[in-house]
Amino acid sequence: MDENRMAKVERLKLESAELMRQIRAEDDIQKKQKLIAKRDSVQRKVTAISNNRRISRETKRDIVAYSFIAPNFIGFAVFTLIPIVFAFLLAFMDWDGSNAVTFAGLSNFKRLPGDTFFKAALKNTILYVLGTVPLTMIASLALAIVLNQKIRARGFFRTVAFFPYVASLVAITAVWSMIFHPSKGPVNYILLTVFGVPQNQLPKWFSGSLVLVTLILFSVWKYMGYYMVIYLVGLQGISGELYEAGSLDGANTWQKFCYITWPQLRSTTFFVVVMLTINCFKVYDIAVMLAGGGDGKLSTSATVLVYYIYQNAFNYWDLGYSSAIAMVLFVMVLIVTLIQFRYEKKLEA
Amino acid sequence: MKKKIVSVILTAAMLATVLAGCGSNEAAPAADAPAAEAPATEAETPAAEAPAAEEAAPEEASGEAITLKWAIWDKDITPYWQAIKDNYEAANPNVTIEMTDLGSTDYMTVLATELSGSGSDFDVVTIKDVPGYATLVSKNTLEPLDSYISEAGIDLAQYGGVDKQVTVNGSLYELPFRNDFWVVFYNKDIFDAAGVDYPTNDMTFDEYDELARKVADPTFGAQVYGTHYHTWRSAVQLFGVLDGQHSILDGNYDFFKPYYEMVLKEEDDSICRNYADLSAEGLHYSAAFSGGDVAMLNMGSWYISTLIASLESGEYDSSLCGNWGLVKYPHAEGVEPGSTLGTITGLAVTSVSDQKDAAFDFVEWVSGAEGAKVMAETGNFPALMNDEVAGIISSLDGFPTDEASKEALSVSNLYLEVPYAEKVSEVNDVLDTYHKSIMNREVSIDDGIASMNEEVGKILGN
Repeated sequence: MDENRMAKVERLKLESAELMRQIRAEDDIQKKQKLIAKRDSVQRKVTAISNNRRISRETKRDIVAYSFIAPNFIGFAVFTLIPIVFAFLLAFMDWDGSNAVTFAGLSNFKRLPGDTFFKAALKNTILYVLGTVPLTMIASLALAIVLNQKIRARGFFRTVAFFPYVASLVAITAVWSMIFHPSKGPVNYILLTVFGVPQNQLPKWFSGSLVLVTLILFSVWKYMGYYMVIYLVGLQGISGELYEAGSLDGANTWQKFCYITWPQLRSTTFFVVVMLTINCFKVYDIAVMLAGGGDGKLSTSATVLVYYIYQNAFNYWDLGYSSAIAMVLFVMVLIVTLIQFRYEKKLEA
Repeated sequence: MKKKIVSVILTAAMLATVLAGCGSNEAAPAADAPAAEAPATEAETPAAEAPAAEEAAPEEASGEAITLKWAIWDKDITPYWQAIKDNYEAANPNVTIEMTDLGSTDYMTVLATELSGSGSDFDVVTIKDVPGYATLVSKNTLEPLDSYISEAGIDLAQYGGVDKQVTVNGSLYELPFRNDFWVVFYNKDIFDAAGVDYPTNDMTFDEYDELARKVADPTFGAQVYGTHYHTWRSAVQLFGVLDGQHSILDGNYDFFKPYYEMVLKEEDDSICRNYADLSAEGLHYSAAFSGGDVAMLNMGSWYISTLIASLESGEYDSSLCGNWGLVKYPHAEGVEPGSTLGTITGLAVTSVSDQKDAAFDFVEWVSGAEGAKVMAETGNFPALMNDEVAGIISSLDGFPTDEASKEALSVSNLYLEVPYAEKVSEVNDVLDTYHKSIMNREVSIDDGIASMNEEVGKILGN
């Protein structure tokens, strides 16, 4: 037994020496590093065997480290990673949650183009993203710039701008439905009395083509406070010297914004746009609360992808089809995010 | 390298647990099988006990404590769940009924989710609506009751034909115990003040429309609405199925048109509140009727017990709506009066239950004569409707005393709001969606109906 061990140690030592020689001869840094790592692990084995320990100190240390991330990772795996992988597989299956899973090939995806409600949901979601993302970005940047000045009661106004974000969605949608109530709301009342819009032509804010406008307005109002805070942090990170230098060169406010503030905020803007895009694609609660009426059902003018995914999964129990729609959403978000990353990298270079 | 191995192992372990979780669905019956055999083989040694163990199921009544798990909704505000439990337990002392409240809003969705996993231990579940029933049946989570029904000798004729509207491929998976039908509630004070005759049990839709127009008062500030339509599609669309020739599963909905025209015209003339407003403010029909400015309201018979109870407790102002009555649903020209819409609530036995006989005994009791009596005494309409039951309800305290209101409780033809079909969930949602679009005037009536025809056609064609 002992001899056996000795022989093994000898063999490993030889291997280590050989690796050392290779390392010396190697020019490519990356390959060199790989070889060094390999030699380290061989060395570790040697120490472990000669000290008669089954696992080396390093392995032990690794296990301890993994055990620290395990609780988080297990949670992530069970509730996020595995469901996502499972959804990928389900998109090619037919399953109702109870009976046996059957392979469906591409048939779930083939159904998509002919589905009126899917097409409506896709269209509405894209329009919603196109409307909400730029408007929220502009509004939150403007707010951040204004509230970054030394004005009176700055803290108060910052809180006011941030408030919609923390307020309960249910409560504020209730208030919005009162404000925009088609016949008794103050907005339409002002349109009627001040602007003289005839009663039968008053806009119906929660139906038809206007409902998307209402959704976008609501989202901008709700989210601008949050992104304002991110922009404020970005603004405070810009060195005052730049503005000073700009002033000395005679730059006006607009020029300072264009040549100092905006370029300096690029990474902040990138973060804001990526987060906003992803969040907007996921819209569900706002649509159901604002446009769902009494029963929380969305008609074709307000339906969004996540709502349709839910409906297919838990009302019709067509889990394969709903996963296929989820894949469409996933691919869309992925493509948009990739484009944004590409663009950001190009600017950086 | 090592890190990779560890993470691969971790992921594999995770996958294994999840797969095991999913798989146990199929594993469960398999595990049951040996368990069921085990007592049999054991019983072979003490031979005398074997038949006792075998026969235990039908003879439960004679002893052996049984606990049945029952899925319901809104336990605290619905009086009959507790009453049913108490009465059944009194009649069967060895049985304990354990109720689980799943809430009413998403009841059928939550129930379907509960029954999807392998962890469900419900024996009896309440079926709230037909689309949900269709889902559960297609998921194979309910036990067909035919053999139990024929064994117990239940005469399905007592349900007046509604059982046929929920029969799936010749099998019945639920027995109805509650049966609500639509009537017209009206506020006598408003008719008196306007000097208009009360509605009658024999109205055609034209007469009904005319009456609503006569009693309505569009004066701003003192508005009185002749009638009120709740935002549900049933409240408007389903006037169309009362002639017995059409159904929502037809795939062609041109017969909705005259009723949409009638209601939208009434909206235009301020005879009723408009849909866009109702939907924006989420006004509940009870708030509308109890406000004292609505002359007529078409609603289900479940509203009777709410109305009586709320007036008694003082929640509704009795000077506004205390003087109410009810009449039969209006009918199309040439159709027998008393044809109306209905909706049933049923009980079903789950296929995973391991005490199905005991569970069916409970279902049979609740949907039978004893259960019907309990339902009627709490002011609800049992599925098993007879003169005695109608008598109990119309003699409740707070029920209108006039003859017409009592007479209104007799139904000649009952059409389920949603009869069974395999894809009824999808059909239901399509009709809901375009009902919304038409009522919100996003599309014209013709376009909306054309879309219904097209989309439902796609579903039924599949």
